[in-house]
Amino acid sequence: MNEAAIVFDNVSRFYGDVLGVNGVNLSIPPGVTSLVGPNGSGKTTLMNLMTGLIRPTRGTVSVRGIPPDRPHELFRVVGYCTQFDSFPKSFTGYEFLFSYLLLHGMRATEADRRALEALAQVGLLEAANRKVAAYSKGMRQRIKLAHAIAHDPRVLVLDEPLNGLDPMARAETIALFQQWGEQGRHVIVSSHILHEVDRISDQVILLSHGYVVAEGQIQGVRSEVSDHPIQILVRCLRPAALASRLFEQDHVVEARITDDRRGLAVRTRDADRFYLLLNRLVVESGLQLESVAPVDEDVSSVYQYLIGTQGGAS
Amino acid sequence: MAVYKKTYRPYDGHLTPSWSRFLVVARYAYEDLRRSRFLSFFFFASFLYPLGCAFTIYLRYNLGVLDAFGLAPPKSFAIEAPFYLTFLGFQSMLAFFLNAFIGPGLVAPDLANNALPLYLSRPFSRAEYVLGKMSVLAILLSLMTWVPGLALFALQGYLAGFQWTMSNLRIPTALFAGSWIWILILSLLSLAMSAWVKWKPVAGALLFGIFFVASGFGAAINGVLKTKWGHLMNVSHLIGSVWVSLFEEPLKRGAGAVFFRVAFGEEIPIWCCWASLICLCLFCLYLLDRKIRGVEVIR
Repeated sequence: MNEAAIVFDNVSRFYGDVLGVNGVNLSIPPGVTSLVGPNGSGKTTLMNLMTGLIRPTRGTVSVRGIPPDRPHELFRVVGYCTQFDSFPKSFTGYEFLFSYLLLHGMRATEADRRALEALAQVGLLEAANRKVAAYSKGMRQRIKLAHAIAHDPRVLVLDEPLNGLDPMARAETIALFQQWGEQGRHVIVSSHILHEVDRISDQVILLSHGYVVAEGQIQGVRSEVSDHPIQILVRCLRPAALASRLFEQDHVVEARITDDRRGLAVRTRDADRFYLLLNRLVVESGLQLESVAPVDEDVSSVYQYLIGTQGGAS
Repeated sequence: MAVYKKTYRPYDGHLTPSWSRFLVVARYAYEDLRRSRFLSFFFFASFLYPLGCAFTIYLRYNLGVLDAFGLAPPKSFAIEAPFYLTFLGFQSMLAFFLNAFIGPGLVAPDLANNALPLYLSRPFSRAEYVLGKMSVLAILLSLMTWVPGLALFALQGYLAGFQWTMSNLRIPTALFAGSWIWILILSLLSLAMSAWVKWKPVAGALLFGIFFVASGFGAAINGVLKTKWGHLMNVSHLIGSVWVSLFEEPLKRGAGAVFFRVAFGEEIPIWCCWASLICLCLFCLYLLDRKIRGVEVIR
């Protein structure tokens, strides 16, 4: 059993006749992993499976070597932030965190210290003694996050954690995710804000209709999408000259000069060969380049190519 | 795969014993209950009857007090098993009402608001969650039933002497066991009903329905079919019969605890009573198992 990864081995989950996820084989390494897919694609089902809140109809799941049907072991290492806003009515933010830390078996002094630490991490220290019921949407989102991280878990499963956060809080939260990822923790995030997924993720898992459509680092996933040539934007002084040389290549399917006539948008079936050619042209013909950047090597484009809709999944 | 700094260190400090963690759930439930003036008043008012009983016991062994007030002592003033059976019946009825007010509010809001993942994404199982919620009722109802009952017995034992205490040991045993059976049934029923309907007022109404409407239905069956088996639907009758057997009271007309009387000639075999109550508990456990889940699957 792989003790450093979250492993799904041929996992299927059906809700009666309705498919949740089917035939999922994954090995998720530490770092920030984003689950991306439209509504009903199976993101929350995957999260519930790895936290043991539902059991697979078929196959097995293990989280760092722990089967999710052992909550006493599992939730020592896992923190889960659900998408539901559900809190005991009468609790203040501090009491909410404190009481759930007691459920972890921590002593009151330790629970107190950690509750305050988690509140400080999500910027809610000043609102610690206000009732959670009186919190704004963004504050409730942050207290849920604090609830997930308060016991310092090794694996964080966060269902749409950026929803309702203002831009400042988003930036801080993303920085936290990256910090946790760098520490060697698993941070599993579902999000429908694709440009933020790009910033956050070490790897992505794309889901559609209960199936894993693609997984891995986004560049790797993009290069596998062979029926959509890769778009590369080259900024240079003589785009027309470059275009004429590119049209001689069989892997280049399109080269279009940009409106400002200082750039060339290229679509190629073989990015590696294109970059080699570009190097050669620079050396041989003295082509002066300002910049070279892939245009569609991001989650949004891959999402569009593979799942067939614009970003905006949830 | 990236090279990570691996600076994470998990918590390895002291942990409280896992068996005691369900009490965390109870602790916060009591704080909520304390805020309700009506429930606090009702709870404290439920000790008036035990106080009256204590006074009666005191009088029984201090008849001279009656003389001092110019009252004639009664010719027969025995305080034995029927006295305690009546006490148990009265307190159990009060416990039923308190349970009907409190019980449904323990689980229904958690389920209605999808709050169960908050509990179940901790090192905390579904069984511990149910146990934690049950403990809220168990502690409160114990304080209303067997705790004052045993205190009364201790008082009488003190006043009547060692001989009387030893020859009546079945009374505290029956008080303790009878109360716990009632507490178990009440708390399982209220948790199961509230988990099923997820709506506090409806769950409370269902509890009343199970005790009063079902017993009326049972009585109708008895009347129409000229049988006594309709009592199987009457939880009060079932529990009353079990109590009578625990107190080893010979059944006579109108025997049993107040509110839980077993009519003479309509007794059903005691094993049937036990079997019915066990079935009721198993049904409640089945409902709880179906409904208390981290994620409810709606098909």
